Amino acid sequence: MQTRAKPTGGLVAGLLALLLATPALAEDPSFSLTLRGQSFEPATLEVPAGQKITLHITNTNATPAEFESETLRREKVIPPGQTVVVYVGPLRPGRYEFEDEFHPKARGVLIAR
Amino acid sequence: MLAIAVIVFREVLEAALIIGIVMAASYGIPYRTRWIGAGLGVGLLGSVLVALMAGRIAVAFAGAGQELLNVSILLLAVGMLAWHNIWMARHGREMAAHARAVGESIRAGARPLTALAVITASATLREGAETVLFISGIVSTAQEGRMGMILGGVGGLAAGVAAGVALYAGLLRIPLSRLFTVTSWMVLLLAAGLAAQAAGLLIQADLIPALGEQLWDTSFVLSEKSVAGSILHTLLGYVARPAGVQVLVYLITLLAIGVPMRLLARTTAHPRTASASTAALMLGVTLAAVQPARADMKVRYPGVEQGEVEIEHNGLVTIDHRKPERNGEQSYTASIAYGVTSFWKLELEGEFAAGAGQRFNEEAGTLENTFQLTPQGKYFLDLGFFAEYAQARGRHTPNEFVFGPILQKETRGVAGLDLLHTANLFFSHEVGSGSSNATGFEYAWQTRLLLNPYLDPAVEFYGQIEAVGHPGRYSRQEHFVGPALLGGVRLGPGKLKYEVGYQFGLSHAAPTGAARWQLEYEVRF
Repeated sequence: MQTRAKPTGGLVAGLLALLLATPALAEDPSFSLTLRGQSFEPATLEVPAGQKITLHITNTNATPAEFESETLRREKVIPPGQTVVVYVGPLRPGRYEFEDEFHPKARGVLIAR
Repeated sequence: MLAIAVIVFREVLEAALIIGIVMAASYGIPYRTRWIGAGLGVGLLGSVLVALMAGRIAVAFAGAGQELLNVSILLLAVGMLAWHNIWMARHGREMAAHARAVGESIRAGARPLTALAVITASATLREGAETVLFISGIVSTAQEGRMGMILGGVGGLAAGVAAGVALYAGLLRIPLSRLFTVTSWMVLLLAAGLAAQAAGLLIQADLIPALGEQLWDTSFVLSEKSVAGSILHTLLGYVARPAGVQVLVYLITLLAIGVPMRLLARTTAHPRTASASTAALMLGVTLAAVQPARADMKVRYPGVEQGEVEIEHNGLVTIDHRKPERNGEQSYTASIAYGVTSFWKLELEGEFAAGAGQRFNEEAGTLENTFQLTPQGKYFLDLGFFAEYAQARGRHTPNEFVFGPILQKETRGVAGLDLLHTANLFFSHEVGSGSSNATGFEYAWQTRLLLNPYLDPAVEFYGQIEAVGHPGRYSRQEHFVGPALLGGVRLGPGKLKYEVGYQFGLSHAAPTGAARWQLEYEVRF
């Protein structure tokens, strides 16, 4: 054996290459969701399909929440009283359900058109 | 109560499974329980700390603090799993042979114990922090009876731990001689899955492009939320709706850890086995030195773009555990190509290669021509012609002509799939000193599923027959088949394209497998 590749070298290089290739986008359409008690407001949110969107999710409760969607493949903890940003898409047209994993009664749906 | 148990179970499961694998993979290493226990303790303490600081972490790094923290934890675990696996590839055999006796010598060498502790700590920390946040939340709101909540939490925790223990117990039923082979494969898949999870988080924070938001959807077969889905998510990295970059990162991690792991497993297997087998091995190496395999696995396309410059790198590494003389053959090329006219592409290529265990040599300089014979898509088949002359550097190595047709056919909408089929049917003829008079034949076939510009899966076949006039038995020829991923991203004024693939040897003369990759940057003037 002449060469011993560093195991994570390829991964890091790959990620770096991808980081460099990321276009700087700031003008994605953005939408707000608010978690109040055991429900999201609005519980149904219409968003455009085919482009990246930004979700601002606010947790007005006194306890932590976790925004989770299996269909959107997103999962993010929201500390009490804070707003977090989650980037989504570009989505195909369809329904994407989400919930607060810590209070599964709080559910909502994103409809991409 | 049940709802709470389910949530806690889901959070605990991943950490428990990872610790189960780590426990089995480190079987026989002295003091491992102590180190893994320490990792667990650090992870739990860290979980409380992260939960307390959740508010501050969420707003850090312009709102990407949570993702970046989790990505760091995940990549740390991936690095440690890689280290552990490569270490085990070198020492696992000795350990299986006399489990505890080598304990002292292991401790004297590089110690994977810290790696075990770090893997355990990171697995615990990642899931633990969420569990702590969740439990602190329900305790402070008290939606149901306190007793019910405590029972639910404890039940979920116990079920998660039980899954980890069951995995560990199951793994220990594997005979010791094979245990570490199984665990190192599990660790490899685990690491690739965690790396893909990290990629998912980076997409969520918009730090890397998704390269295809959802490549496929298998949630109707197996949801990630189901118990089986969560277990496979941890063990294999199963994602029902993966993004392109997740699949890419998964495969890169598999290759980056798997290739050194398998190469090392062979080279360190029996260091002192003398006599006949060594003699045979030496002979094999000498033969390989005289005639290095110019294993050029690449599918050429018939199209030519006038004014386009391509800078390209190809790599190939063979893997073979049964035939040491075929293990770790390497071949790398660097080339620059230019579309001189609308139908003629000229390419200059340098090739560096090494046989098993040899030093690198500049093997050959090659002048390649691709002619596009038919306009793209005009006829039933797209036709091209390829001709190259390879000037070998060694004085006693023959030079070579390679030429033949390139055929390409696109089939759209067959069973809902758009496919691109390409075949290279090349003949070779050696000239100069040491040349054989025979005409050789090499073929390459690729069927590519046109999914999206970033990532197309493909199946490839490669093979060669040394003398067309005397093809000999199939077992003496080299034939391969395997999967590949192809794609590209816009970068600056041009496009960065990649190909990664793994080829399984089909015939006895071929090595067990070969990993190949290609990176190309093309820009048009």
